[in-house]
Amino acid sequence: MAQTSSTALASAGRRVEGMRARLTTTPGRLSLAAVLLALGAIVFGALAGSAVSARHQAAHSVATDTEPLLVAAEGLYGSLSDADATAATTFLTGGLEAPVRRERYADDLRAASGRLATLARQAGSSVQTLAAIRTLATQLPVYSGLVETARADNRQGFPVGAAYLRQSSTLMREQLLPAANRLYDVEARRLSGDYRSGTSAAALLAVIAVTCAMLGLLAAAQVHLARLTHRIFNVPMALATLTIFALGIWMIVGLSVEQNALGRAQRSGSDPVQVLSAARILALRAQGDEGLALVARGGGEASLTDFDVATRRLGFSGEPTSLLGEAAAIARRSGSAAMIDRLSGSFAEYLAVHRRVVALETNGRFNDAVRLAVGSSAKELSLADALNSGLAQQISAAQRRFAGAAGDATSALGGLWLAIPLLSVLFAGLALYGMQQRLGEYR
Amino acid sequence: MSVRVRHPLPRQLLRGPHLCGTAVIACMIATTLAGCGSISDRALHTSLSALEAKAPAAPANSSTKATNASCGDPTASLRPRGPLPAPGHMPARTFMRTVQDRGRLIVGIDQNTLLLGYLNPFNGQIEGFDIDMLRHLAKAIFGDPGAIEFKAISSAQRIPVIQSQSVDIVADAMTINCERAKQVAFTTVYYRAGQRIMVPSNSPVRGTLDLAGRKVCATVGSTSIENIRRLAPHAIPYPVALRTDCLVALQEGKADAISTDDAILYGFQAQDPYTKIVGPRFSDEPYGMAIDKRHPEFVRFVNGVLAQMRSDGTWASIYEKWLGRITHAPAPAPPQPHYRD
Repeated sequence: MAQTSSTALASAGRRVEGMRARLTTTPGRLSLAAVLLALGAIVFGALAGSAVSARHQAAHSVATDTEPLLVAAEGLYGSLSDADATAATTFLTGGLEAPVRRERYADDLRAASGRLATLARQAGSSVQTLAAIRTLATQLPVYSGLVETARADNRQGFPVGAAYLRQSSTLMREQLLPAANRLYDVEARRLSGDYRSGTSAAALLAVIAVTCAMLGLLAAAQVHLARLTHRIFNVPMALATLTIFALGIWMIVGLSVEQNALGRAQRSGSDPVQVLSAARILALRAQGDEGLALVARGGGEASLTDFDVATRRLGFSGEPTSLLGEAAAIARRSGSAAMIDRLSGSFAEYLAVHRRVVALETNGRFNDAVRLAVGSSAKELSLADALNSGLAQQISAAQRRFAGAAGDATSALGGLWLAIPLLSVLFAGLALYGMQQRLGEYR
Repeated sequence: MSVRVRHPLPRQLLRGPHLCGTAVIACMIATTLAGCGSISDRALHTSLSALEAKAPAAPANSSTKATNASCGDPTASLRPRGPLPAPGHMPARTFMRTVQDRGRLIVGIDQNTLLLGYLNPFNGQIEGFDIDMLRHLAKAIFGDPGAIEFKAISSAQRIPVIQSQSVDIVADAMTINCERAKQVAFTTVYYRAGQRIMVPSNSPVRGTLDLAGRKVCATVGSTSIENIRRLAPHAIPYPVALRTDCLVALQEGKADAISTDDAILYGFQAQDPYTKIVGPRFSDEPYGMAIDKRHPEFVRFVNGVLAQMRSDGTWASIYEKWLGRITHAPAPAPPQPHYRD
């Protein structure tokens, strides 16, 4: 037993001895350097490739997956809020509703169903997401049924119609909108996660580290080669160094450009989309509250309280803590906040009319209040509609900016997924060829 | 490929650190550039927190527990004194004069109870039995039944709006009982309702005894829900905030029956022919108008107007105009007034 192991040890020792002996010769050392360079090329290609492709994937996902899904979730949330507000204000106008408003309600439901289908297909399969989608898919028909019953009763002049409308709105606010909010929340956080991995410093550091390491290894190999062979310059090796250097610069510049573009996509694209969407949803909530308060004719204190909550959160462009304030701050950073200021102005006008409506309401002048709010020459409804469409315009402008910047981010890394493996192979080939030339001189 | 260099380059140029140094400088420039691409979650958090579900304070359910306060006969009201003053000539230093000088009577009403008080969407007017009673009162004060301002109130607000004097009078299917009579003054009974049961027209329910195990809808804080607990203890109460919510619950099958005053049930029946009202009246709900206790002369005046309406047939014609549409019966004799002095 002891004998065999000592024999094995001895043979291993002999092998090591042999290798050491071979390494003392110049060709042996050159071979080792060639192997190391080839291994380095593989490691370099793998590390740099995975770092860049992680970034590329994240940027691609932001552009084509998470942000569009966030927009779908926002759109769903917005259409549901708009349906709620439109149903309440349309109900107020009595049995003969304006065709435009009826159309708008129908459009909202159509858009909501379409976006729900998109989200159901693509929004992932977390328990939270699935539960929210199930709630929306099962309760949306119930909701529209309640609204239609309210409408049918209203057309016959039955006061039970108002009870159905109240119930539809309760269903909307207690089940549908919270479910839409959960989807929106999930998508917004996913987008934020993608932004983080799309701009992670780890990728950039990894690329810098492997490039430096590779250049160091090459330099060491060339110095070594120069000492061994007394020839300072080896063209393939110099070309290999140049390749790595160029690829390193390309990757660093590409990653920086991508990071910059993603930052721009967030700052001037998805950030304003999120803030303006939240503003639009709150504005619609306030509009729905106003309608419900008028439908309740005196029993609407809860709706009026909620109106105040929603409008306070919406705020004005001058208030830094409010949504419109945040939107203005974002707009100012990437250009001008003139549009937001204008929207804030029409929101102030809307609030002024709202105060007049409430004053009429508290004095029991319901017919005048309803006329001021939704009548044919209604000021309030047109102001609310202007605010809503102004916000929608700003949202789609921000969405266009997002699409442009996110496209830049993806294309910044566009060629690299191919260039990294190709150039790594080219580098390995050049390095091995350069070594081979020197090795050949010893045969 | 390889070239022998005649003039050897300075070795330092080939040194690794030097090359790497160049790379590091490039990197630093890049990271500075990348600095503007930093990502922030500020907008995310602002928008998510703004959209956070609010909790609008649930309407306070001032559940008025029926205390068995005894007060003799709560329906006994103040006797009218002398003949009614002519419209537009209310005696000085009376509340009626204050109202006349103001130019309109402010009344608290419900606008969702078909036949009693409801908003007619076709003409935008508030109409019903209670409303016509009030219009006659306005006519007695001003000579003009239109000199009236309606304030729609919920059942829970009926006593508070009187006590805060934000309305002059409340007529909203309000049952006179001892507990309420302690807080506000009531006129004489202007309608005598009773609690009954409404079910879908194919329901086997025929009376309170059949309600065991069934869901019975009534308004939170109403006398109806207390009566059901007392008379049909095995029924499952289905409380709702507003009267018409009961009809929704019945139509959607969430409740098996509605139990409340027959006058309110008639209004429900007018909105849904697939219902029937079954069983006898099992409670007595005398309706009175509520007035602030600080205006006894106004109570006497309104009682005088009511007495006149009972005797000259106005009461019967108003009854037939609204409730007779559903009961298909001639107007009963108007409820006889009880006076305490």
